[in-house]
Amino acid sequence: MLSEEIEPPATKACVQCAALLNTDSKFCNICGARQSAVEIKVADQWNLLKQASIFYALYLLLCCLSKFTDAFQEMAWYLVLEVAGILLTAGFFAINWQENKALLKWPGFSLQKLSAYCGIAMAGAFLVHYSVNWLNITIFSHEEHLFNASRDNYYAIFLVVFFTAVTPALFEELGFRGYLLQSLLKVSDTTQAVYISAFLFAIIHLSFISLFWLIPFALFIGYERVRENTIWYGIFFHFCFNLTACLFELLQQPK
Amino acid sequence: MDDSLTIAQPKERCASCFNEVINDDVFCTSCGYPIKGTEQEQRIFLSHIEANNIDYKDYNDKVKRAGNSLYYLAGFSLLGGIISFFLKQDDPNVLAYTLPSIILAVLFLALGSYSRKKPLACIVSGLVLYLIVQILLIIDNPVNIASGIIVKIIIIGYLINGIKSALELEKFKKEHNIKD
Repeated sequence: MLSEEIEPPATKACVQCAALLNTDSKFCNICGARQSAVEIKVADQWNLLKQASIFYALYLLLCCLSKFTDAFQEMAWYLVLEVAGILLTAGFFAINWQENKALLKWPGFSLQKLSAYCGIAMAGAFLVHYSVNWLNITIFSHEEHLFNASRDNYYAIFLVVFFTAVTPALFEELGFRGYLLQSLLKVSDTTQAVYISAFLFAIIHLSFISLFWLIPFALFIGYERVRENTIWYGIFFHFCFNLTACLFELLQQPK
Repeated sequence: MDDSLTIAQPKERCASCFNEVINDDVFCTSCGYPIKGTEQEQRIFLSHIEANNIDYKDYNDKVKRAGNSLYYLAGFSLLGGIISFFLKQDDPNVLAYTLPSIILAVLFLALGSYSRKKPLACIVSGLVLYLIVQILLIIDNPVNIASGIIVKIIIIGYLINGIKSALELEKFKKEHNIKD
């Protein structure tokens, strides 16, 4: 094969004087120039972190509004919040469009991989559903139902599925595994970037009990997103997970 | 590798980083020390290294301080959990009050203990977790914003300084090939 015939060169040219150097030389032995490929600017990284924190603060504000205020429990206001969240995520994703648009491509699409991810997601949702119920019953002595308002209306079920499975999957992925993770990758190494994005994603759900499954969930999607270099597997994973959880809730509600 | 080249040359060590250098080298290939430079150039180089080392120590201290504030937060949360347990002992839902504090304490403890290895990830996570808990407390009762405000500002200050220093530290480690 071709790749076996050509040996990798043990030398490289100095970035300044083009003298031949060993590949592991950090400085040129002739002119003394530093050989690091990319210059790291802490000020730029700091600005990226500040930008990411604005995104996160606004997202948190929307989450708090939907969770803690009564006005936003109504359908019309809820829609306003949803649209605000979508605009926020899409806006930040578009800030760095030139770089982020690559994440929207789907290189090496594989149906097997996709179905494997969906299978894992459904099994995960199944496990989480029963463990969360068990935790809620043992610790808080009550069962929580998310969708009390809409169980009597058939058309409302579609809305519930749409707003718990479709939009979160699409826009949480776009925001956290798209914009946020991509920014963090420029600030830090892969492990730390994936970890930070997972932790931030988990705690924005504002539920201590859910952390035990949200952190592994987000770490899994984060690593998968870095490895596959596309957010689509994550979106489908997230969709299947939320859909399964949502269907469980709907099926278990008292008629 | 081309062993014959290094064996043929008499081995010398760089005066700054003590790595092996070859006689023909004008600069050390691992730290950039001007081996064949004038005495003044060498002195300037060494004083730069010295200054860098002082910076490095300073960043390390700030990261350590941020890590320590995570430990303090773990301690506070644990204390809060224990106090609420004894206050609400007779309540059937006692776990619902104490468990969040205990989870918080465990999280801060984990973040604190990993902050030496992965400073940026742990300090960013710790800061955001702390801020969210504060926001939830303020939503619960707006008076909470005033309680212990100086301590809160100090903790947030340490953590933000820690994030900046962690960035500097990572840059320093990358430039000087320092492995954890």
